[in-house]
Amino acid sequence: MTTEQRLEQLREQAWDKGIVAGRGVDVTGGPIPRRSGYYGQPVVKPPVWTWEIPIYFFIGGLAGMSAVIAFAGLVFHEIDLARTAMWLATIGAGLSPVLLTIDLGRPRLFLNMLRVFKYKSPMSVGAWIVFAFGACVIPGLIALELGTRYSFGGGTDQFLKIFAHLLVIGSAFWGVLLATYTGVLLGVTAIPAWFLHRVLLPIHFGSAGLGSATALLELLGHRVAPLSALGFLAAAIETALWIWLEIDKHGAADRALHRGLPGWLIRGSEFLSGPLALILRLTNLVPLAAIAFLLGAFISRFGWIEAGKVCGRDPEAVFASQG
Amino acid sequence: MPGLGTSFGRGGATTAQQDLANADCILIEGSSMAEAHPVGFRWVMKAKERGATIIHVDPRFSRTSALADIWIPIRAGSDIAFLGALVRHIIENELFFREYVVHYTNASCILRDDYGDPEDRADGYFSGWNEDARNYSMQSWQYKGEGLSFPERDLTLQDSQCVFQKLKRHFARYTPEMVEKVCGISPALFYKVADTLVKASGPDKTAAICYAVGWTQHSKGVQIIRTASILQLLLGNIGRPGGGILALRGHASIQGSTDIPTLYDILPGYLPMPRGGEEETLQQYLDAHTPKTGLWSNTPSYFISLLKAYYGKHATAENNFGYNWLPKLTADHSFFEYLYDMADGKMEGMFLIGQNSAVGAPNSRLQRKSMAKLKWFVIRDMVETEPARFWRDSAEIERGELKTEEIETEVFFFPAAGHAEKEGAFTNTQRLLQWREKAVDPPGDCRSDAWFIHQLALRLIGKARAARDPIDEPLRALDWWYPEDRFGEPKMEAVLAEINGWKTPVAAATDRGSIEGVLFGGVDREGNHHHEAQIDGYEELKNDGSTACGCWIYSGVFSRDGVNKANSRKSRDYLGHGWGFSWPSDRRIIYNRASARPGGEPWSERKKLVWWDSGNWTGIDVPDFKKDKPPDYEPQNQERGLDGQRGDAPFILHEDGLGWLYVPKGLQDGPMPTHYEPLESPVHNALYSRDTNPVVNWFTRAENRFAPPGDPRFPFVLTTYRLTEHHTGGGMSRFLSHLSELQPEMFVEVSPELDEPEWQNHPSSRGSVSFWRSGPVTRQCCQ
Amino acid sequence: MSRSWKVRRSPATSFPVVCRAVLLFLIGLSNRRPNLVCRRIYTPNSHLPAHRMAEDFRAVTARRAKCGETMIGEGTQSTNQRRHNYVQENVEVGFFTGPTVCIGCKACEVACKEWNEVPDDGFTWIGNSYDNTGRLGASTWRHVLFLEQDCQKGNQITGLMGLSDAQSEDPFRWIFLSDVCKHCEEAGCLEACPTGSIVRTEVGSVFVQNDVCNGCGYCVVSCPFGVIDRRPQPLPDAGGAFKCTFCYDRQKSGLVPACAKVCPTESIVFGRLDDLRARASQRVEQLKQSGYEDAQLYDPQETSVRGIHAFFLILGEPEAYGLPPKPQVPTIYLKSAWTSALLTSIAALIAVLGAFLFFG
Repeated sequence: MTTEQRLEQLREQAWDKGIVAGRGVDVTGGPIPRRSGYYGQPVVKPPVWTWEIPIYFFIGGLAGMSAVIAFAGLVFHEIDLARTAMWLATIGAGLSPVLLTIDLGRPRLFLNMLRVFKYKSPMSVGAWIVFAFGACVIPGLIALELGTRYSFGGGTDQFLKIFAHLLVIGSAFWGVLLATYTGVLLGVTAIPAWFLHRVLLPIHFGSAGLGSATALLELLGHRVAPLSALGFLAAAIETALWIWLEIDKHGAADRALHRGLPGWLIRGSEFLSGPLALILRLTNLVPLAAIAFLLGAFISRFGWIEAGKVCGRDPEAVFASQG
Repeated sequence: MPGLGTSFGRGGATTAQQDLANADCILIEGSSMAEAHPVGFRWVMKAKERGATIIHVDPRFSRTSALADIWIPIRAGSDIAFLGALVRHIIENELFFREYVVHYTNASCILRDDYGDPEDRADGYFSGWNEDARNYSMQSWQYKGEGLSFPERDLTLQDSQCVFQKLKRHFARYTPEMVEKVCGISPALFYKVADTLVKASGPDKTAAICYAVGWTQHSKGVQIIRTASILQLLLGNIGRPGGGILALRGHASIQGSTDIPTLYDILPGYLPMPRGGEEETLQQYLDAHTPKTGLWSNTPSYFISLLKAYYGKHATAENNFGYNWLPKLTADHSFFEYLYDMADGKMEGMFLIGQNSAVGAPNSRLQRKSMAKLKWFVIRDMVETEPARFWRDSAEIERGELKTEEIETEVFFFPAAGHAEKEGAFTNTQRLLQWREKAVDPPGDCRSDAWFIHQLALRLIGKARAARDPIDEPLRALDWWYPEDRFGEPKMEAVLAEINGWKTPVAAATDRGSIEGVLFGGVDREGNHHHEAQIDGYEELKNDGSTACGCWIYSGVFSRDGVNKANSRKSRDYLGHGWGFSWPSDRRIIYNRASARPGGEPWSERKKLVWWDSGNWTGIDVPDFKKDKPPDYEPQNQERGLDGQRGDAPFILHEDGLGWLYVPKGLQDGPMPTHYEPLESPVHNALYSRDTNPVVNWFTRAENRFAPPGDPRFPFVLTTYRLTEHHTGGGMSRFLSHLSELQPEMFVEVSPELDEPEWQNHPSSRGSVSFWRSGPVTRQCCQ
Repeated sequence: MSRSWKVRRSPATSFPVVCRAVLLFLIGLSNRRPNLVCRRIYTPNSHLPAHRMAEDFRAVTARRAKCGETMIGEGTQSTNQRRHNYVQENVEVGFFTGPTVCIGCKACEVACKEWNEVPDDGFTWIGNSYDNTGRLGASTWRHVLFLEQDCQKGNQITGLMGLSDAQSEDPFRWIFLSDVCKHCEEAGCLEACPTGSIVRTEVGSVFVQNDVCNGCGYCVVSCPFGVIDRRPQPLPDAGGAFKCTFCYDRQKSGLVPACAKVCPTESIVFGRLDDLRARASQRVEQLKQSGYEDAQLYDPQETSVRGIHAFFLILGEPEAYGLPPKPQVPTIYLKSAWTSALLTSIAALIAVLGAFLFFG
């Protein structure tokens, strides 16, 4: 019986008996689709962060790990490498607060970040890390540059050298934290796709930072064996992390990492900085490998933020993570 | 209002909203109380918390239904069939409150022998039908005996001509099976409601009924309310705590606008407007409207005091207190009549104050087109509402039916003050006057409506005085004494003082300001001696011109103690005595003599309210009865006034002091309710040969067509309803972002069975409406 | 923009940053609940905007005190109408919100916006039943939910449904509930806030100091209930994070929060937290006895959130109300995440040094 016939029947019934018995008709598009939760409304809030934050993650990771390489370069007398790495770290240290400030809702009040220190807040710890990193890296670079030129002579140069060493050690300390804390920043939230991978994220951000620092230094002409080794290491870790991510699935809770735009961004980035970079390095196409890794590391940060947004909008993800 | 007025005597809710908390069952029908009266609904929820059963009867599943214990889907407009069946069920099964019914209602009154019920007559009409005039002659509907005041009674209710037997006969065909056919309510559901109601009524239980415009705006609204009144009288729920009928008014001060009316056919205090022809003299008027017994036997006092308030010292016994200056009714001037006059160009100009007829009135298309026929048009509102811009921004301009350059209407828009920007009183749903102080000055040029009327009156009176035209005599005679502040705003408490009433000056002017009970110095605008002390209540009103009173039922609100009782804010008991002033005489539950047994003791401890105690009526509420009339009092020689009523007659406004199951006077369409289909019902009447109310005035003309009952072209019923988020025409809510964002669009709720594509066009015989429908909408019943 | 509240400037811009930071560092370490200095100081003067003058609450409260505070009808039964000194006496307070008496009038939403001068945030027809608000956010601090569900509400009879088993096909119920910030015992937003803008007040509520917040957005992802949000442009005061203040300003003056004050059926009850908890469990029992078999309290005390100050009575499962069944405060992830980060850091240092040592 068609809908119209059934309606006609209902009308007749109403006319004869004054009452309609039984069900009516189902209409096109009906029944109204049931969405999970409260009309499919998000349970947690997706992040409000825009493009500045993934770029900051990339630059911060790169700068932080550059400082570590600079430290190693200084220890092992690769002074040129150390200088370049310190330059990268300094540029990163300068850009990071700028990016962070632009992303603030009220950039004018950026200094309030340093109003308190709260060890339980990765954002607060991070702000202080960025501050401390900058406070070490910038004078560190100046001291290093002045110290390596021997322009003052004698005791002053000696003092500068020691000072530079101390500051570079400090830079390395804060730098390695800068590269990894961002993983904690995402991991310690209410977004299932993030907090379910809170162990993976610092490793990933650390290795991506190390790999991109290495790659950029290599592209800048520092084709030395230790960097090459680090490049291999980073690409290998990224490959391993990809496999880990593919195995460690949490169903609906972190499906944002495997589906749609963020899924493809993360998968693509892991492919670029993992297997592809590894193969290119094995085939000795180091510049290409470096570019692939940098690109992968860059896209990966966008992928993770986007995954947070998609996952935050998905009520089922939250329910699944708590089920 | 005739529904409650004819049943009980006063056209107002019989109870207070706070009192709903004491009910054991609340039946809400013709109202979505939770949505339209959310604040009052708190007492319904309180009752529910205390174990009361909430029943909601409505075609639509609304927010009220969601909170009710029982939701009964009913076919729109079949309320009388449903309530009538409840009446039948209660009578047939002897479930009524016998002692209450026998003593306090007119069940025992004997009708004249020539009374004929539709059940007994071949034509299906009541006796007295005049086919040519299309109305009833009410002669045969009277009691046997000495008029309405002293009818013959049979307290056994066995006499075949007694009201009870007639009622039983009248509703005999209103069976549960008929309910199923007419209302679409299954017998199981019907019995559930009937049982709940009956179980919640009796000496120690009470049930309340709440209704709103879902009843009053029917062509037979009065008779629906009448059916509910019969039901409540049979169950013994009137005048008792937790009982009664609560008329939920459409918006702030709607009760006030009939007490001191904006209607064309009544004067303040429900005094009828004089009719031309038969009531040309004061004596004729008073003779026609003064019954022998009951409170209305003082009509001359009320009416002459009103004339004294209108015309002050110009009203004297010699000129019949200015009776001749009052306009007399010569024709129907109700809403549709004046709309047609407007459409025909018979009306030159219009003041539109506090209304949005381009949105809220029926046939808004005709409304707007008629506005274009006016020569001048004055609108006062808080924002530029649709009537103020009909000439440039309306559906008719869009369609090309009206062209801005061709409209000759001169439109004046006056910005008005909002309710927080002016002082005055609201009379709410439960007859409660609450004074409102001005919180802020209105912005810019906005002025209160009182300012506008006051300034207009001053100017008109000034012109009349200058012109000396005899036709302006009423204007010159007007006693416009109100003091004003420096902005020209009249002092509203002065108006309230006049409404309460005062003694008119007798002696020469002295310093009145120092005398107790004289308000506003006792002087008028020129400083002349104007009035004496305030009166304490309508009992003090006189028919010799020595008192003036703007509205007798409000008397006592601003009495000799000089306290504006509408502005009192300290409630002493659960009924809220001490908070505002409830007319009449601060009685919160009226007819409360009925809360005591005929002998004077309370029906039960749980439901006690007013009782006879050592020579006086006393209790929680102010007794709505002569204070020292013993419960066993019986009039001996047909005394006049209140002394003509028995000591067990609680309904003191009726001549016989009884609640009227059967209405011998005051209703055009029959002494007992009969089920007729609404005017444009899609089906025919299953109970009577006649489809619709026979006396209804069909305002038919080409622009305002009606579809007759059963018209196959219009098979669906579209009803409108109010959302909590918006207020009436929306002038006060659609323009406020915090309210508008909650319900930003018009929408229609359709049964899933009728769900159609996304653009919905709803044609009726007068126009069509298009809505955007999206997303899930609440399911509603489809019958 | 004219404001009714005098806002004290953030000291961070006037003090030497580092000194202040050290000071607050110590405070931050030692004291979870700093004695809050209220940043909104009420001044009963001409700065009041017109609509506030009507409720110059000092005048109102003085008048009330004189005539003996009573509410029409019920006397002092209602905690919502009572004056209190909870702030002065450091009493933990709460909201207890239930759907069984909520009539979906949305007065709480409007009163909240009016009192707190929250802007309207769009005139979009969402049509989630009667709900066009959507969800809690920066410009919606109270939100009335309208649930349409295919089951019976208690013993409610809707049409034929509920009358007897045979006829109960196609059951239906409509539930209203006013949602609000939960003011968690362990608040994710408060822990996450890097500026110290979010603090806990004397009454245990969580309060965002608007003039301190710089809009970093970290609280947004840290709230397990998705309550707090950053207000987008071009709304007034955009950029900062906003949520329910528990009407801290009203509470300081002894008034109850605006939403509870206007709730006509007292579906929103405001009062002492311990009282409310007792009352709530009693209520659940009572409802269960009267046929609401699926009534339960939503007050996650067993999870890391350790209970909420604004808790709810719900019918059915929390998911339908958009409430997480087992909310966790994100700080519980700190340990594992930081362990991973520190190990990664050490590994990175070793790897780099090792690379230079072995391949250098």
